Amino acid sequence: MSTTAASSVAQVEARRGGRLAVPVALGALVVLMGVSLAVGDLPLTVAQIWDGVWHRDELAGTVLWNIRMPRLLVGMAIGAGLSASGLVMQAYFRNSLASPGLLGVSSGGAAGAVLAIGLGLAAGRAALFVTPLFAIAGAFVATGAVVMLAQRGTGTERLLLAGVALNAFLGSVTSYVLSNFTLTYERNAQIIFWLLGGLEDRAWEHVWMVSPVIVAAAWLWPLGRSMDLLSLGVREAQSLGVDVNKLRRQLLGLSTVMTALATAVAGTIGFVGLIVPHVLRLLVGPDHRRLVPLSLIVGAAFMVGCDLIGRAAGLRVGIVTSVIGGPFFLWLLRRSR
Amino acid sequence: MTNALEIQTVSVPGRLHETTLALEAGKLVGLVGPNGSGKSTLLQVAAGILPGGGEVRWAGRRLKDIAMLERGRCAAWVPQEAHFEFGFTVRAVVAQGRFAHGDDERGVGEALARFDLAGLAERPVTRLSGGERQRVLLARALVTEAALHLWDEPLAALDVRHALETLRLAKELARGGRTLLLSVHDLRAARHFDAVAVLQAGRLVAFGKPDDVLTPECVREVFGVRARMAEGMILELP
Repeated sequence: MSTTAASSVAQVEARRGGRLAVPVALGALVVLMGVSLAVGDLPLTVAQIWDGVWHRDELAGTVLWNIRMPRLLVGMAIGAGLSASGLVMQAYFRNSLASPGLLGVSSGGAAGAVLAIGLGLAAGRAALFVTPLFAIAGAFVATGAVVMLAQRGTGTERLLLAGVALNAFLGSVTSYVLSNFTLTYERNAQIIFWLLGGLEDRAWEHVWMVSPVIVAAAWLWPLGRSMDLLSLGVREAQSLGVDVNKLRRQLLGLSTVMTALATAVAGTIGFVGLIVPHVLRLLVGPDHRRLVPLSLIVGAAFMVGCDLIGRAAGLRVGIVTSVIGGPFFLWLLRRSR
Repeated sequence: MTNALEIQTVSVPGRLHETTLALEAGKLVGLVGPNGSGKSTLLQVAAGILPGGGEVRWAGRRLKDIAMLERGRCAAWVPQEAHFEFGFTVRAVVAQGRFAHGDDERGVGEALARFDLAGLAERPVTRLSGGERQRVLLARALVTEAALHLWDEPLAALDVRHALETLRLAKELARGGRTLLLSVHDLRAARHFDAVAVLQAGRLVAFGKPDDVLTPECVREVFGVRARMAEGMILELP
């Protein structure tokens, strides 16, 4: 078989596989959700989980409702949010190496959240609103800076160097808060939490905090086709009938808010927005109508899986994603033109 | 009669100076000029994708009164070159020409066949040669069924057969009532058009029938080369 014919067959197979991708991904997510609820210091059987959910088993119910379910839901929401953010940024900047972590948007969210904690504003029930709002403000500052820097080109070197500079600058903001604010031990511990990124001790208030990700995901869902055209270039998309200015505002807003919420609730968890969209593109092709729902589902599943690995190995989930993502990024960089 | 395209005193700082041009419907018009004379800029302003001072009208309607989605049905712009970051298939890129028509994929198969792309339909566009990519962009323009076509150097990357076929298609489209403005470097090709517009340093210096405009004097003045009429090798489609 000639190379051309082989590639054609591969493409057709990828498209066929794409149809099964959503059910397969949903199945994998459901299995991982079940495992996440079952394993821990108190292992639970399927029957115990069922009884616990309906409060027929008091101990299982307490473990599920107070510990495992909020942790699972927060993990799913931030995984879906970070993954979809990465997908959006890659289409926006027409660069498959763009992601919230590498471009500094996550650092912007973290710097905002740390500032809120440092200023003592994120205490008590106010934390529910103040931390995400500061994180969103910080992430928007970072996004604005990236967009400004990218106006003269979105080549890999330019984007990555802009990300390096922004990450360094925003890291210094975090360091400044840590070193110059009179902080209590508790606040310092809170800040260290943001920097490491993890799902420990996540409760229902954190689920509510991150829940707007669902609204953002629903908003993003129908924009897949326009994202296809935007990923070819602003002028091409515009000439084909896309309202590019409106689309770009929506995409930037959605990706920034999703990244900021994820960061506000679980700290900086890197590489999710890079790994998930990239692997999905390899598996099902570049059609964003398929990639948007898949990145949400697989992003959620990936985070639940990483959290399971972290729980088994005694590592925070941010460390697990970095251990997987670091080598993956270097591999991508080697492949990129 | 309403002109298909009207460009009235359009300026883009440093690139185009108060250019006015009107094209009748059903005409194939060539846009010629040296590198950097403003051809691509003029085409982009005409396509409504580059803001410029002045006014652009499509079929008598001001561009700013036409909604974005409708613009995708009214005019087709073909860029000089395309950079593809993601590996969409050839078929998928051509089908994007139907975005403004609700993605109905009408005419995609015919356009692929017309540009010799049927065998490459499932190949990622990231793995095409420059000429093949150019044909993909032209096929995408064709499926838009737009009344106005603005093609930026559509022949530059094409081999001689595909260039001749593209010219034949352009003439067919014009005969069918479409209006085409094509930037070209080959002045011999431009001689077969209904009209030619000559740009020099961002200014329109001549516009009219090719024989009236592309005179040896004009060619010397604008391009700095001597032109001589002679019968060389004649290339024609079988």
